[in-house]
Amino acid sequence: MITCRDLVALLMEFVSGQLPPKRRDPVEQHLSRCSLCLAYLESYRTLVEVSRCLPPAPLPERLEQRLQTILRENGQRQETDRRGTDPLGSPAQ
Amino acid sequence: MTEPGASQPGTLAPIGQGHPVELLTPEEIFKKYAPRVYNLARRMLSHEADAEDVTQDVFVQVLRHLHTFRGEAAFTTWLYRVTVNAALNFRRRRAARTAQRLAEPLEDFAANGQHRGPVRRWAAGPEQLALDREAHQWIDAAIAQLPDMYRDVYLLADVEELPNAYIAELLGLSVAAVKSRLHRARLLMRNLLAPYFEERVA
Repeated sequence: MITCRDLVALLMEFVSGQLPPKRRDPVEQHLSRCSLCLAYLESYRTLVEVSRCLPPAPLPERLEQRLQTILRENGQRQETDRRGTDPLGSPAQ
Repeated sequence: MTEPGASQPGTLAPIGQGHPVELLTPEEIFKKYAPRVYNLARRMLSHEADAEDVTQDVFVQVLRHLHTFRGEAAFTTWLYRVTVNAALNFRRRRAARTAQRLAEPLEDFAANGQHRGPVRRWAAGPEQLALDREAHQWIDAAIAQLPDMYRDVYLLADVEELPNAYIAELLGLSVAAVKSRLHRARLLMRNLLAPYFEERVA
């Protein structure tokens, strides 16, 4: 019979289905008798599932402006390069 | 023929689908990926200004290398590497913060191996919590309290859903170390969040 401590130590493998039957059976037996471990397991699963759905925070306005500046400068540089290599293009300013 | 972008991220397994990222304009790339880069950096560093600097550094590199990629998989694999490296560099440069000592989750047991205190069910399931903005703030606050070594693995594995083998490469760890840190990180997160999410006792 495994203890609550043993069970918690096996949770990651148990939840991901990686425990072989020989090690999984004692976990399931323990869970059928221990309401504390069952509550622990449920909260652990909830945490893993909700972590995947954590929404991104919007970009701060200051950062958005910094990135727009980089993009603009990049566009201007490319335009200058294009003109510089195109014999029919107007000369770079 | 070898694709120019394919050699960029080394031998890593590609992530995502092979959409033609090279057909996107820099503006579209920025719109699609900047929030991802910024949020990973923000959560890794728990520092707004540093996360903004990391995002800017990463996008300067993106503009420099964009033409070398063929397909979104090669690009995102490379993007994660550049973002994680930039965030780790910022952390190293920053003065070492006072190390926090969080209660060790595996010490929550009595000598006989049973739970020392009560364990209550959480009031809401993942579907409800996924839509709860207050819950997201508590989760972000808990992430910020994790020691760095656990936070990085938790973010890459559970928030970004990257494969363990790739996380091991990104952080220079063995796969066994990634698993062990992830396990510890989840237990710490569960304990940090339990006071907010457990059912109230009448």
